[in-house]
Amino acid sequence: MAVAAVSTALGDAPPPRRRRLLEDERWLALALLLPTMVLLGLFIAYPFVRGILLSVTDSRVGVSGSFVGLENYYRIWNDGIFRTAVYNTFLYTGVTTVFKLALGLWLAMLLNRNFRGKAFTRAFILLPFIIPTVLSTFAWKWMFDPTFSVLNWVLYRLGAITGRINWLGDPDLAMISIMVVNIWRGVPFFAISLLAGLQTISPELNEAAAIDGAKPWQRFWYVTWPLLLPVTMVVMLFSVIQTFADFQIVYVMTGGGPANATHLFATYAYQIGVGTGLLSQGAAISLAMFPILFLIVVVQLLYIRRVEVR
Amino acid sequence: MFFYLPMAFFLLFLLFPFYWMVITSIRPDSELYRPWNAINYNPFWTTRPTWEHVRGLLLETLFTTWMWNTMFIALMSTAISLVCGVFAGYALSRLSFPFAGGLGTGIFITYLVPQTLLFIPLAEIIRNYNLGDTPWALILTYPTFLIPFCTWLMMGYFKAVPKELEECARIDGASRWQAMLYIIIPVAIPGILSAGIFAFTLSWNEFIYALVFLSSPDQKTVPVGVTSDLIRGDVFFWGQLMAGALLGSIPVAIAYSFFVEHYVAGLTGSVKG
Amino acid sequence: MARISRRKFLQVSGPGVVAAKAMGMAGILASRTAPAYAQGATVHWLRWNDFVPASDQLLRKEMLPEAEKALGMKITFETVNANDLQPRITSAIQSGAGPDLIMLNNNHPQLYADSLVDLSDIAEATGKAEGGYYPLVRANSNNGQKWLSMPWAIIGAMIAYRKSWFEEAGANSFPETWEAYREVGKKLKAKGRPIGQTLGHTFGDSPTFTYPLLWSFGGKEVEADGRTVAINTKEAVESVAFMTAFWKEAHDEGGLAWDDTNNNRAFLSQTICATLNGASIYIESLRNADKYMTEKGAQLRTDILHSPLPRGPAGQFTMHTYHSHVLPTYSRNQAAAKAFLRWVHAKPVYERWFVSQKGYATPCTAQWEEHKVWSEDPVMAPFKVAGRLGRSPGYAGSSGPKAAEALSKYIVTDMYAKAVQGMPAADAVKWAEGELKGVYG
Repeated sequence: MAVAAVSTALGDAPPPRRRRLLEDERWLALALLLPTMVLLGLFIAYPFVRGILLSVTDSRVGVSGSFVGLENYYRIWNDGIFRTAVYNTFLYTGVTTVFKLALGLWLAMLLNRNFRGKAFTRAFILLPFIIPTVLSTFAWKWMFDPTFSVLNWVLYRLGAITGRINWLGDPDLAMISIMVVNIWRGVPFFAISLLAGLQTISPELNEAAAIDGAKPWQRFWYVTWPLLLPVTMVVMLFSVIQTFADFQIVYVMTGGGPANATHLFATYAYQIGVGTGLLSQGAAISLAMFPILFLIVVVQLLYIRRVEVR
Repeated sequence: MFFYLPMAFFLLFLLFPFYWMVITSIRPDSELYRPWNAINYNPFWTTRPTWEHVRGLLLETLFTTWMWNTMFIALMSTAISLVCGVFAGYALSRLSFPFAGGLGTGIFITYLVPQTLLFIPLAEIIRNYNLGDTPWALILTYPTFLIPFCTWLMMGYFKAVPKELEECARIDGASRWQAMLYIIIPVAIPGILSAGIFAFTLSWNEFIYALVFLSSPDQKTVPVGVTSDLIRGDVFFWGQLMAGALLGSIPVAIAYSFFVEHYVAGLTGSVKG
Repeated sequence: MARISRRKFLQVSGPGVVAAKAMGMAGILASRTAPAYAQGATVHWLRWNDFVPASDQLLRKEMLPEAEKALGMKITFETVNANDLQPRITSAIQSGAGPDLIMLNNNHPQLYADSLVDLSDIAEATGKAEGGYYPLVRANSNNGQKWLSMPWAIIGAMIAYRKSWFEEAGANSFPETWEAYREVGKKLKAKGRPIGQTLGHTFGDSPTFTYPLLWSFGGKEVEADGRTVAINTKEAVESVAFMTAFWKEAHDEGGLAWDDTNNNRAFLSQTICATLNGASIYIESLRNADKYMTEKGAQLRTDILHSPLPRGPAGQFTMHTYHSHVLPTYSRNQAAAKAFLRWVHAKPVYERWFVSQKGYATPCTAQWEEHKVWSEDPVMAPFKVAGRLGRSPGYAGSSGPKAAEALSKYIVTDMYAKAVQGMPAADAVKWAEGELKGVYG
């Protein structure tokens, strides 16, 4: 091979080459990372700092304000709608994550078998996750429409209801409706990721457990689940980050209504900041999201690390 | 049957809305707007399919313009993000230099910053560079959430490439840069495809920045256009709305269908890595 | 189209020049001053999706092409859901780019005062030419220093109701007081035909109901000094308590989630007996007379009548939705936009738009009350005097930026919404007081 020829040609002088190597590496790394750092610095870091500054002034649209310290935070803390939005976001994230995990896991286990049309099915079920959220949410909004809902039609025909179900008009039902859409979108993501995780678990482990007399649920709990945990935690991490900052689903389905019952952090920040033009208060609401999210992420990361070590 | 019944339930749950989109797009208006408890009403099928909604959508609205816009923005953002992501992923996974760990974490942190916080300060930046109401406002801001993703994906793929490959090339006299370009990257093509298709679908999915930075009807992207222009007066034009939702989903679905394996690999790769 | 020489223009239009005297270009030519904007400028005009679609059609298909020819500019006409107008102008001001002329509701222009071009020259000229504006017009569009927006129209809000159903419930004319309305509503809801009203965050049908309701019981947001919050009164609590009972007994309780279009659809699909609205329901039933038939086989339009809101202990009030156009300072086509405004407000031009509205919109000056459109259809007659009877938000203070902020935040509407969802009336009023104090400082 050419290797031998070249190496004799170059002769051996490891030390100088190693030094060049090191410098090479650092410059190369810098060059490679430069575009990313410029883009992220200019369009995330810098605006982030300005956002923080914005939240401690009293700016409104077209009027740059003056420094007011933590007044915006105090104001939003005393805002009933903000508190509702905080509660909603936690509830929304918590409930949907539990369902997405449960249903996703179930679907993953179903898909883990071999059956005809498996590749086809696997491709199709990812569709809810692929399609732009706004577009598919409109389809759901149409399905939940107060006057023309197809769901009401079905339930009515089945004799389950006599009066109309006000999916988007009743505060509690509206929350349930947006959760349904979020779960619908998220289950495929969980399912496919968990499926990949399941596929790395050797079937012999399960068989061995079965031979030892373990029942199906015991096999799951003691064999499958622990091996699946790393993947599960990472998937949950991504999902929680996304869901916590969710905007599109609520914006399209309810706009935060009825009567502010379905506002999340992001939609309320948008309504106050862009709708009413109170930019500083909107920034404060958005920033309030960040530490909580950070905390959740740190907790999950620590958990993942612990699980991986084990 | 513990298998077929739940499977059928899942398929129904996950795919019914798409069927509903299709059906609504081809039903005539007179059949569409009948209350849920009207008699003699079958919402699941129509005997008189019509193209009027699709035609109205394509001819009377700027839908085709929105499609072009969105496609252009998505492709450009994906290209930028891939370049940045491949380079950054390579650097973070195969080179050693100070602050490597910190930078990796830093890129991760940027993913946590909510868009609703950034869009007002970003609007100022957009304004200062006169990018408001142009696709460039989005092409430059989309990479902010695409690059982190691409970077992690590529890190995962690069980590899996054996070091020997590179060392062979270096011994052959290639510089690190050449080694990266001609040896490692070609090997990671599947990863690049995965990252690319992932970035592409994420671009199509973006909404907030497009909503705030674009204004003229002929600059809008599909999600924004469908949300703002297809609801006229008292009436949600559901026929056209669903046609718009359907047609707007097709490019993404097509791109996805060519790259299903890569998409899935990307999804699971990012999760495992 | 861009560069038309003077002579060519006169040659082409010939006899039409005299008729086109009201039109901008010919007027400019006649006065022998060059137009102040470059030929070929583009003006981006943003309005709401008109609830009378025929008017948008008229603009798109006829009036705007004529304007383009007459003024030598391109006009991009965009319509959006009215609730999106405020986010649009905020985003546009922040990004430094956006529409040149934006229609805004009520006193919203006051919120953006520092970012708007002074339109006093056009507004004063038109007001003078037409005999003076209604007081509410000035209250909403003028902040005491300049005209923030060019007045466009007043959308009268009236209750549209089903004549035959009300007669069956024993009301041969529309109930005069809130209590009487409540009685009729109770009877009709029992028959599955409730009243439909939104208490959601939507620009039109919510405030135009809740503000007059508050006023008619004697409540108000602030004192006349415009600073002291005065909503926490016995009268306000009474109005909230009334509304809570009224809601449960007589209303379609889904109304909490409605926007401005749901009540139209509900009325037209005959699931509600009455609703506060502009004239769009009736106009739609006229436009598609055969599509909407009553259960007795008659055309729905023959069964619709209009009435102002009922009287309360402190009187009878209305609040109408007011439309005006602003020209933001970021616009790079200010001269062209102004020229367009002048053109469109010329009497013969505006009249065409007004006629297409069939009385849905009431112009901003008293002169138009004489117009024959009002005598064409007796069902529309109540809308003629909308401009005179309306009161503005922020009562008893001015309709300035603080009133606009309170309106944008739907404080008064939410007060009622909270109560009907279970909050005791006194607490709801107290909540509103706190919110208003946050606005008025």
